[in-house]
Amino acid sequence: MRRPPVPPGPPGVTRRIALCFLTSAAGAIGFAVTYGLGGQTQWEGVCLAVAFAGLATGLSIWGRRLVSVGGYVEEHEGFVPPPDEQAMTAEVLTAPDSPVRRRGLLATLGLALSALGVAALFPLRSLLPWDRTRPVRALKETPWRPGVRLVTADGRPLRPADVPADVMVGVFPEGDVDAGDAPAFAVRLHPERFTRPPSGGHLDGLVVYSMLCTHAGCPVRLYLRGTGRMLCPCHQSSFDLFADARPIAGPAARPLPGLPVEVSSDGYLRATGDFTAPPGAGFWDQP
Amino acid sequence: MSERCERRWHPGRACAFGAVLALAAGPAALAAPATPSPSAGVGTPTTGAPAPAGTHGEELYRQSCASCHGQQGQGTQRGPSLIGVGPASVDFQLSTGRMPIADEKPQSRRTQPLFSADEIAALVDHVASFGGGGPQIPQVAPGNLQAGRELFATNCAPCHGTTGAGASLTNGWTAPPLYDATPVQVAEAIRVGPGLMPVFPSQVLTDQQVDDLATYVRRLRDERLDRGGGSLGRLGPVPEGLVAWIVTLGLLVTAARWLGRRAGQ
Amino acid sequence: MILDRLARAFDDRLRLSPVVRKALAKVFPDHWSFMLGEIALYSFVALVLTGVYLTFFFDPSSADRVYQGSYAPLDGSTTSAAYASTVRLSWDVRGGLMIRQTHHWAALIFVAAIVVHLTRIFFTGAFRRPRELNWLVGVTMLVLALANGFTGYSMPDDLVSGMGLRILVSVTESVPLVGSWLVFLALGGEFPSDEMIPRLFITHVLLVPALLVALISAHLAMIVRQKHSQFPGLGRTEHNVVGSRLYPSYTLRSLALFAWVLAVLFALGGLVQINPVWIYGPFVPAGATAPAQPDWYIGWGDGALRLFPPWEFRIAGHLVPAPFFPGVVLGGVTFLALYAWPFVERWCTGDRRSHHLLDRPRDHPVRLGIGVGVLTFFAILIVAGGDDVIARELRIPIYDLLNTLRVLVLVLPLVTGTLAFLLARALRRGDAARLGELTRADLRAARRQPGEPAPGRAVDEPELPAPHRPGERIELWPDGDRWRWRYHDERADLAILSNREAYTEQEAVDAARLAYPGVDRLVVPGPPPPAPPGRVRTAVRRWGNAAMGVALLVTALRQRRRRKDAGPEDRSSSQ
Repeated sequence: MRRPPVPPGPPGVTRRIALCFLTSAAGAIGFAVTYGLGGQTQWEGVCLAVAFAGLATGLSIWGRRLVSVGGYVEEHEGFVPPPDEQAMTAEVLTAPDSPVRRRGLLATLGLALSALGVAALFPLRSLLPWDRTRPVRALKETPWRPGVRLVTADGRPLRPADVPADVMVGVFPEGDVDAGDAPAFAVRLHPERFTRPPSGGHLDGLVVYSMLCTHAGCPVRLYLRGTGRMLCPCHQSSFDLFADARPIAGPAARPLPGLPVEVSSDGYLRATGDFTAPPGAGFWDQP
Repeated sequence: MSERCERRWHPGRACAFGAVLALAAGPAALAAPATPSPSAGVGTPTTGAPAPAGTHGEELYRQSCASCHGQQGQGTQRGPSLIGVGPASVDFQLSTGRMPIADEKPQSRRTQPLFSADEIAALVDHVASFGGGGPQIPQVAPGNLQAGRELFATNCAPCHGTTGAGASLTNGWTAPPLYDATPVQVAEAIRVGPGLMPVFPSQVLTDQQVDDLATYVRRLRDERLDRGGGSLGRLGPVPEGLVAWIVTLGLLVTAARWLGRRAGQ
Repeated sequence: MILDRLARAFDDRLRLSPVVRKALAKVFPDHWSFMLGEIALYSFVALVLTGVYLTFFFDPSSADRVYQGSYAPLDGSTTSAAYASTVRLSWDVRGGLMIRQTHHWAALIFVAAIVVHLTRIFFTGAFRRPRELNWLVGVTMLVLALANGFTGYSMPDDLVSGMGLRILVSVTESVPLVGSWLVFLALGGEFPSDEMIPRLFITHVLLVPALLVALISAHLAMIVRQKHSQFPGLGRTEHNVVGSRLYPSYTLRSLALFAWVLAVLFALGGLVQINPVWIYGPFVPAGATAPAQPDWYIGWGDGALRLFPPWEFRIAGHLVPAPFFPGVVLGGVTFLALYAWPFVERWCTGDRRSHHLLDRPRDHPVRLGIGVGVLTFFAILIVAGGDDVIARELRIPIYDLLNTLRVLVLVLPLVTGTLAFLLARALRRGDAARLGELTRADLRAARRQPGEPAPGRAVDEPELPAPHRPGERIELWPDGDRWRWRYHDERADLAILSNREAYTEQEAVDAARLAYPGVDRLVVPGPPPPAPPGRVRTAVRRWGNAAMGVALLVTALRQRRRRKDAGPEDRSSSQ
C-alpha cells in the first residue's frame, strides 16, 4: 500500500520544532552532567525545566502549526437508553432463574454479607491503643504528679532562683521531657500586680502554667516581658498571666491550666499535683 | 535628627517580595538575594568626624539623649531611666541604630547606627557613670553549632521563628529578623532583653551557651542554608502558596490558553 | 516498518482497530478551559513519579536516629528517623532536594489546578445532568487531594508540620462524643504517638493515592463515555461535539501541556525553596515557631480557626470547644454543599434535562453570585490564615487586622456576590459582549426585577431540535467506497467535517441526523470544492489523507479477517 507523501510544513516551522527538541536534549544532557559532577539543586532544576520546556514548546508548535485544529464534529448519542434495550436488560436480570427473584435467599445472603462486613470492622479496633490508657483518661492525665521535680528541656532540675524576674523558662516533668501534654512554663511576676490569684498558686510571684494553648494545643511560648502576656504562635491567642492566664484576645476561650508547685526540702521546685485542668485543646469530656 | 526616623525598606520584606516577583519573572529567582546583604556592625563608622575624647561622651549624651532620658539618665516622661540598664543595653541600642529616635514610638527598628564605634564607646562609658550596674558588654567566642541550634529552637524560635526571619507580636510589636545582628549584638540582646524580649541571665543561659547561640544565629544568615533556591524570605507557606497560585494561573493556565487556541487566532 | 508490524500483530490478536479508529477520532472542544483538569492530572503524574523516588530515601519511623551528614548544625544530633532521613534526603542525597521540592510544589499546584478546574465546571454548569456523577467523583478527589497534601506535609516530623498536625488533632478532638476516640483511632495514642508517622506514611503513599488513581480512572472513563460538554456556538448542538480530534491534534497538545507542567514544576523545584525542614528543626512537643502556617489549601481552615470568636459551650456538662465550628462544621458544610450543589440546583430550577451545551457564567446570575461570594469567603479565610505574616509585612497591629478580617469575611462575600449577580444580569439583558462594554443603562436594567423571563431561557421549555436556520445543511458524498458528511452553514461560511468516515450512506446519514436533528440533508456528487488553500486547510487535507490511509489499512485487515472467517460477522455499529 502506498502512503501519501508527507507534505512540507509552513517554511521554517519544522526547523523551529527540531530546534526545540534539540534544546530539550541539551537540557537532559545538562542534567546528567550536573548530576555526574556532584549535583547542584538549582542547576538540576533548571536543566530539567529546559528539557521539558523545549519538549513543550516543540510539541505546542507542532500541534498548532503542522496538524489541523478544529473543524470536526462528532455526534452524541445522548444518554436516554433505547427503551427496547432497557426492557430486554431488565428481562434478563429478572428471568425466572435469576438470583434476584429468590427474595428469601437474598435476605439471608444479605445478612451473611452484613455480618461479614461488621466482623471486618473489628480488626480496625486494634488501631486503638487497647493496651494503654483509654482516650479520655489519657487526655485528662499528664505525667505531673505530686513530688515530680520541674526540669528544663535538657533535664536540669530547677531551683526557684533559676527563674529570676523577666525570664520565661520551659519546664517539664523529670523523666518525661518528651511527653506531649506535659510542657509547662515558669515565670516570675510581681505578686502585687496579680488581678486574679493564680489557680496553681505562686511562690513569691513564681507561677507555672501549661504551655499548651487551650484553643488548638499549640505551645504558647511567646512571652511578652513586661506586659505579663503569653502569645500563641498558631492562632494568636493572648493570655494574661496577671489574671490567672485568662485569654484576652484571639480564639482561645479557656485560661491556661496552672501547675501547683512547691519547693522541696532539697531546694528544688516540684509539683504538688497535676494541672488544674486538662492541658491543651478542649474535648467533649473535658471537666 | 529627623532623618533617623526614615523607614528603611525592611530586608526580610524586600527579600520576600523580591523573590516572589523574581519568580513571576522566571528563573531570575536564582539571582534573588537569599538573605539580606550584610549590614554594618558595631565597627562601622557613619560619621566622618574624628573619634571624640572621653568628655565627648557627655557632650554627645547631651545632644542626642538627654532630651528624653534626662541629664543624669533619670528618665523623663518621654523616655525611660537609663540608670542600671548596663553597658550591654546602651551598646545594643546604639549599635543597632535603634537609638536615638526622633519621635516616640513603641518599638524602634534597626537602622544604620548614627554614631561611630568610638562615639558609642564614649556614650556607654558616660551612661555607666550614672551608676546602677547592669549587664556588661559580653565577650563572644566561637561556639558549638549543634548546641546553638538546639538552644535557638528552645529559646529564640518561638518569637523570632526557627528561620530567624522574625514574627509579629501583639500591638504592632515585632520580634525582628536576626539576619543583620552581629554576634555581640545577639549576646547583648540575650542578656538585656530589649523591648518585650525576655531576659536570659546566666542562671538560664551560660556564657558558653550564649556563644553557641551567637554562632548559630550567625549561621542562619548564611545563604548556603537556602540550599533549595530562592528563600521567599523564609516565611513559609504564605509566600509559597502565593507563588503556587501565580505560577498556576500565570504560567500553566496561560499555556493552556495558548494551546487551546488555533494557530491563526 | 517494525512499528507497523507490531501494530498489526497486536491488532490480529486483539481486534483493536475498530475501537482505536473511533477513539482516535474522538473530538475535544477547542477551548482552553477544557485543559484545566489536565493540569491537575499531570501534576498528579508528577507527584507519583517524584513521590516514588522519595520513598526510597524516606524512613517513616519516629525511632531515634543520629543524623550524620553535611548539614553541620544537625550533624551528630539525635532526631526521629523520619526527620533525619528527610534532612539526609535534602542535603546528602544527590538530586534529592530537587525532587523533594518538585514534589511539594506539585502538591500545591495539584490542588490549585483542581480548584480552578472545579470553578470552571461550576460557573459553566458542566455538573448538570448527565454529569452529576462525575462532579461527585471530582469533589471526592478534591477531599482526597487535601488529605494527601496534609499527610505528606506532616510526615517529615519537622517543627512546623508537627504544630500543624497538633492543630488538626485538636480540631478532631473537638468533635462531640467521639472526638477523642477518633484521634486515638488515627494516632494509636495521645499526640505525639510512635504509630503516628508510619500511619501517615501508609495513608500518604498507598491508601489515598490508590483511591485517587481509581477515581481519576473513573473520572476519565466517564468523560470518554459521556463525551465533552461544549460552549454554545454555530454548528454546536446538544447532540454533538465540535472541535479537534484526539489524534493527532489533541495528542500533541496534551503532551505539550504535560511537558509544560513538568517544566514549571522542575523550575520551581530547583529554583524556589519550599519547606526547608532542615532550618525548621525537628518536632518537639514544646517547640514553637512563628509565623506558623499550613500549606495554602489547608489555610482556609487555619484562617477560620483564627477568625472564629472564642465561643464554646457545654451540653449537659460536656464541652463543645471553639475549634469545632470553624474546624469541623465549616469543613463539613463546605464539602456537603459541594456534593449537594448539582441536586440543589436541579431542585431549585426544576431543570431535569440533559445538558451538553454549557452556560456562559452570565447565563445564570444566581449561580454566579453564589459562586463568587463563596470564593470570596474562602479567599478571605486563606488571607486570615496568613494574618501574622501580613501584619508583619504591613507593620500593623495583628488584632486590628484580625478584627477587620472578621468583618470582611462576613460582608465582602455579600458585596462581591451581589455585584457578580448584578453584572451577570446586566450582561445577559443588555447586548454588551464583555464586561468593559456594559453601559449605565444595562446596569440600571439589572437592578429591576425581570418582567418576563428572557426568551429561550424558560426552564420548563421542552427540548426541541435546534430551530432550522436558512443556509444550514448537511452535505454527504461518497469518497471512494466510503461516505463522508459535513455540516455547512453558507451564511456563516462555516463547514464542519464529520470526525470519521462511514462505511455506508445510511451510516453517514444516521450520524448526521444524530448530530444535527432537523437539518436538511443533501447528497452532493463529490467532495465539496476545496476552500482557498490555507495552512489549516492544507493540514486538514494532509491528515485527511493520512486518516484515509489508516482507514484503508483497517479495511484491508477486516477483509483479510473476513476471508478467514466464513461466517457472517456483526459489525460494530457506529453510534
